[in-house]
Amino acid sequence: MITVTNFSKQYKGFTAVKNLSFSVEPGQILGLLGPNGAGKTTTLRTLCGIIPPSAGNLLVAGHDVVEAPIEAKANLGYIPDDPRLFDTMTVWEHLAFTAAAYRLADFEKDAEALLASFELTHKRDTLVHNLSRGMRQKVAIACAFLHDPKVILFDEPLTGLDPQGIRGIQQAIRDRAQAGAAIIISSHLLSLFENLCTHIMVLNLGECRRFGTMEDLLSEVGHTDSTSALEEVYFSITQAQEQTSETATEKTAA
Amino acid sequence: MDPALRQLLILRLRGGLRQRLLQLASVRGLLFSLAFGGIIWFLIASNGSSGASVFGFSALDRQAFSDQIMTFMPLSMLGLSLLTVMMTTGPTFHFSPNEINFLFTGPFRRRDLIIYKFGAYVAGVALTSAFITLIAPPQSGSALSVFIASLLTLVFVQLNSAVISMTGHALDGSRLAKIKWPAIALLGTIAAVAVVYTWATPDRGVFDLASDFRHSLIGTIILIPYIVFAELFVAASVSQLALWGLIAVIINAALLRAAIVLDERTTDRSLAENARLSNRWERIKQGGSFFATERTEVRSIRRAPILGGLGPIAWRQVLNALRNSFKLIFVFMGLAASIAPVSMALGAPVREPHTLMIIYVFVAFILPRNLVCDFRGDVSRMETYKTLPIAPWRICAGQLVVQVFVAYVIALTIIASALVFEDKVTTEVALVLAAFALPLTFLIYAVENTVHLLFPIKLVAMGRADFEFLGRSIVEFIAKTIFIFVGMAASGAVGLLTFKMMAVTWTVAGLASWLTLTLIGFLAVVGLQYAFQRFAVAETID
Repeated sequence: MITVTNFSKQYKGFTAVKNLSFSVEPGQILGLLGPNGAGKTTTLRTLCGIIPPSAGNLLVAGHDVVEAPIEAKANLGYIPDDPRLFDTMTVWEHLAFTAAAYRLADFEKDAEALLASFELTHKRDTLVHNLSRGMRQKVAIACAFLHDPKVILFDEPLTGLDPQGIRGIQQAIRDRAQAGAAIIISSHLLSLFENLCTHIMVLNLGECRRFGTMEDLLSEVGHTDSTSALEEVYFSITQAQEQTSETATEKTAA
Repeated sequence: MDPALRQLLILRLRGGLRQRLLQLASVRGLLFSLAFGGIIWFLIASNGSSGASVFGFSALDRQAFSDQIMTFMPLSMLGLSLLTVMMTTGPTFHFSPNEINFLFTGPFRRRDLIIYKFGAYVAGVALTSAFITLIAPPQSGSALSVFIASLLTLVFVQLNSAVISMTGHALDGSRLAKIKWPAIALLGTIAAVAVVYTWATPDRGVFDLASDFRHSLIGTIILIPYIVFAELFVAASVSQLALWGLIAVIINAALLRAAIVLDERTTDRSLAENARLSNRWERIKQGGSFFATERTEVRSIRRAPILGGLGPIAWRQVLNALRNSFKLIFVFMGLAASIAPVSMALGAPVREPHTLMIIYVFVAFILPRNLVCDFRGDVSRMETYKTLPIAPWRICAGQLVVQVFVAYVIALTIIASALVFEDKVTTEVALVLAAFALPLTFLIYAVENTVHLLFPIKLVAMGRADFEFLGRSIVEFIAKTIFIFVGMAASGAVGLLTFKMMAVTWTVAGLASWLTLTLIGFLAVVGLQYAFQRFAVAETID
């Protein structure tokens, strides 16, 4: 469903992502893990056609995001970390806009169901600039789900949500995956990955440091009482890399 | 003022200055600031050397200039006060969210906070007054008198508006508040009767009537506070300036005292107003409009048109225009409708070159800067547009269609106004102008959007002395004007060549010219599509 081959992205001489390859099949949930500047958001934004890749091929539902962007985008739902909604439109009008953009003829029933599942029914006629951060996030997710995309990309999906909202979104992600969607989640919340993801990719300095199933990664380190297993994996990879970089710098200086 | 607040004021002024200097440190900032400086120098030089303004108005002598100020300045200030009464939620002392968080919870009295805010305003107004002094016509007196008069008048305008608004808030729900709208209706009726009277009496214009009112006993009594400030501007000697300046300072001090007293009674309302204004500014920073709807809920429109992908984008901008800019569209239509009668009343009909120049500035600079229903207001939402499964050219066309339609309606209003008030503008001329106004409007906004996407920048100046922003606006306008004039010249040339070489009628030549202008407009959309595709959505590298 998602196939990325030798993807690289450079910004004015700086390499944000280097030679990245992975795939996500229907029903799988891939967690993108890494420190700030690791290349997570760049990867997501390139996959959904916001920024062009410098090299490599990115396929969404079999369509190349560069060669056939319209077809690729028609199968994709993207939820950014800070959803910028249209401040003069109501919650319902955002769904109507999305339906027209994705050419959905009969969307009302699905839209009503989405509003109900995200507890937004009573906010249907509210102008979105009056909504809280968490509610705006829910509106963005409802819009992304409306056309039933085969591929869904989440960038920090739980920001600003209350505990009920977090539980609701997590369940919605599980449901979408069970329905056959391929999902990528980028987040700093390790507990989110432990709860949801089937696969994990650890990125650091634009390169893939580890990619595999959750079970494979967790089997590398034993569970401890004080820290989560995934946290240990994360720190062992990123700190080892930092130490390697520092040692290399010291040797060069010497 | 509280010493801590004084310190904060100094630090903020210093920070503002540092920010401006940092703008000069970049090549682009320096170039735009130099461009702004050049334009100011040009205005000063043209004022000083010829005694005539850049738009060609003949200079008035000192006496005539003073008469005009004494007659019309108090009336204008009265109009501004009435407008504040009508709007009810006019500007009081605005505190930003940061100021509310830090200062409202600090050990400060409300009185100190109001004086702090007043001090910040005076500092800003001093800069504006210095600017006015630089570009004031030579017959307006010495630089010192213009500066003092401008400073005290602008302070008065702010304090007066604040006191009127606060009085309105304090009277909310009282019996006096109920007579507001009948009183406004009465004033509106009087204004309408005056217009009809001048319409029916060819030798008496609106300005004659306003002048008569100003010099009548009732008019003088009503306008007394405003006349003080007009006297400041026309003071012929230092002693006169000192006398009227002293009275103006006393009036301003009384207004400041009134504001402090009223503020104690309207604290809740003031906080609500501050929150509302802060939300508006936040929306502006995200590319929205200051005039965005204040309602929480509206009746949702159930469906958006598809139209091959063009529909939802245009629909979004329709909602934007209706809910965000509806009042503004009416204001601009009113201004457009009054261009011909006002220019006639001033003795400069619309066919005069300098009047045409002013109309062009209105249509191609003032209107696009204020009425934003296209890409320019959606730069922060480009991420959404880029992920839509819609061809870029359809997104571009969808973005332009509403803005062009609204601007075209305003252009048609100008043409209709000229048709009604100008004898030389016949129906045929008006029809030709209306036909060419459409592709021209299309071209203006295609270029405007292309420039904005290629060199995106905030839509509002960040403070009074954002010279980089002002300079850039002027440079953009000049560049756009060159492009549009080249397009118009090409269109005219094609029409002329068709007429000369193919020996056809003027109608056919005009059609060829119109088609050329339309084609250039469509080519500009190709440029816009390129700019859209090239637009880099905040390239964070997380």
